[in-house]
Amino acid sequence: MVAITLENVSKYFGETVANYQVNLQVTDGEFLVILGPSGCGKTTALRLIAGLEQPSEGAIYFDDDRVDGRSPSARNIAMVFQNYALYPHMTVAENIGYPLKVRGFSPDERDEKVEDVTSLLHIEDQVEKKPGALSGGQRQRVALARAIVREPTVFLLDEPLSNLDAKLRQEMRSELKRLQNELEITTVYVTHNQEEAMSMSDRVAVMNQGTVQQVAPPQELYDRPRTAWVAQFIGSPPMNLFQGTRRNGSIDLGEAGTVDLSGVLEAKEAVVETSERDDVQSTALLASDTQGTVSLGIRPENLTLASTPPPSGNVIEGRVDTVEPMGEYILVNVSVNDQIVNAKVSDRTVSRGDRVYLTFDTNDAYVYDTNGDLVA
Amino acid sequence: MSLQDHIDGITVDRDEGGLLDIDREKAVALAVFLVPGLTLFGIFSVAPIVYSVFGSFFSWDTFTLESFVGLDNWIRSLTDQLIIHWPNMQELRYPMGALTHNLLWVVIHVPASTFLGLGLALLFADLKGRRFLRSMIFVGFTVPPIVIGLVLMFIYDPRAGLFNEVLRVLGQEQWVRNWTQSPQVAIYALIAGGIWVHTGFSMLLYSSALSAIDPSLLESAKVDGAGAWRRFRDIIWPLVRPVTAVVVIMGIIWVMRMFDIVYAAGGAAGGPNHAYSVLGIEVYRAAFRPPIDYGMAMVVALVQLFIVAPLALYIARMN
Repeated sequence: MVAITLENVSKYFGETVANYQVNLQVTDGEFLVILGPSGCGKTTALRLIAGLEQPSEGAIYFDDDRVDGRSPSARNIAMVFQNYALYPHMTVAENIGYPLKVRGFSPDERDEKVEDVTSLLHIEDQVEKKPGALSGGQRQRVALARAIVREPTVFLLDEPLSNLDAKLRQEMRSELKRLQNELEITTVYVTHNQEEAMSMSDRVAVMNQGTVQQVAPPQELYDRPRTAWVAQFIGSPPMNLFQGTRRNGSIDLGEAGTVDLSGVLEAKEAVVETSERDDVQSTALLASDTQGTVSLGIRPENLTLASTPPPSGNVIEGRVDTVEPMGEYILVNVSVNDQIVNAKVSDRTVSRGDRVYLTFDTNDAYVYDTNGDLVA
Repeated sequence: MSLQDHIDGITVDRDEGGLLDIDREKAVALAVFLVPGLTLFGIFSVAPIVYSVFGSFFSWDTFTLESFVGLDNWIRSLTDQLIIHWPNMQELRYPMGALTHNLLWVVIHVPASTFLGLGLALLFADLKGRRFLRSMIFVGFTVPPIVIGLVLMFIYDPRAGLFNEVLRVLGQEQWVRNWTQSPQVAIYALIAGGIWVHTGFSMLLYSSALSAIDPSLLESAKVDGAGAWRRFRDIIWPLVRPVTAVVVIMGIIWVMRMFDIVYAAGGAAGGPNHAYSVLGIEVYRAAFRPPIDYGMAMVVALVQLFIVAPLALYIARMN
């Protein structure tokens, strides 16, 4: 088992920048998920760790060993590809045994290990079949078996569940998590599915446009998204961001109302201290004579809907656009300043066209500056 | 008309034997479409074969059928030294007979053009400008074989020929000769030319087979620890096997029907003293050059057919 370190790693494909100055630490035995939209460079990052691509700049370490420049086979990694990449002309047993065969294990050893791993993944009765005769879920298991059979030090997975149906995906998710817990292999898992990322990972690295935006445990990622982009990427539906002007210690949201900035800042004081930079900026924000554009972020689940103006607190005014009953909650889309705002509510008391008042706890509000960085 | 009426109408049709009517109509339509094709196939393929089989048991006066002679034509042809020359074969001296020459083409030309094609396809797979290179190689295959034969004559010419010039430049003067007219080496010179032409064909087929292999399979093998040779042996070679079958069989068919290149280089005799004659040449000479031996022409053509037909059938029935 090893720890993985990416140090200022960049990867260029001609003019295209796939990764730019990526810094990432994966600790020994950790389950790290790289999460991002398609084209954000997450798969390239994984392929750099695998050795299928070599970085244009920067260094990659496994523990203290610098591994960039080494071939994939010299890194003792195993990888599961999005389309499983099973060898179509070999049986399941031959597929799983192939890494062992290449590494010169005797046929007896091979059979023994293949038997162990197939029983671990419940595919003992499939070993004589060719991959073409298997279902998606079974292929997935074979690919996993082939990856873990030779006990690699690093386990890399590239969107392994994206070809499965919803039910199977759920099943394989917990199975993968169980396997990783049992084997304690350092794992890097790439996905664009935030549900997968949140449910399986120890930590999530959120990537966008080739750079790492934030690395944090799932809950922290949800509770304290460091950039407006992460805030809007994590959560379903995404966080609402209101554009406003900071003036005299409050945020002016135009016709929709005004939010008292000091309240938000005070509520956040304890947490904001985690970073010096934030502290300085939030103090600057409080200075009443400064002005500027900021974004106020509130998650749909933290908004409360009222049809009469509440007596006190922060209020944002809008008009109901659509109401979507989702079963476990009702999603109300409210039009505020020509922007659609999502609110998750528990009962249906409003209908289209109603004038409504959105209230929230200052604890649940985030303020991002013009660069999209979290300031409070 | 209501929906119920419509359904009733359908039921009535069926009661009156509608299904049978449809089948009969279908059969007529099928026949109408099949007749033109089958007619042509019958006139130009089946009839000549049947006629040849029939005629091979008769004696001929030029093009006129004479009397039934049993296996006479067959025995005479297959023991003819132009077809199989046992004494020369034992001494490895040319000519060895047209059938032997054809088989020599199969043994040398087919593996060589197959492996060269695969090699070039692998080489070009990740190369910049591969389209241009591929086209250059394939152009050879688009040239009519008779022209290839003439080109080979020029290349192997003792004075003006490129090949001998290269030998001179390399200081190998002792090898300089008229390659297409030296009985002991001429057939190899022609086979080399045939390989050059046919490599383009196998390279093209292999190129498309290689690009059909999912790259993640090769990456997966890399991660599994397989080096370049193992990736080729364990992944690429098994996955292109269907194409190998096609390339090999098409190659065998191509050389078994060989005529143009040999004719261009060596005329109707198939080289000096028939040194590199092939079955196609013998059919041509027996049928069209005096003394005309139509019976032998039929037998030799049928021998060609018996070798090629099962292979063609195998390809046609491949999945």
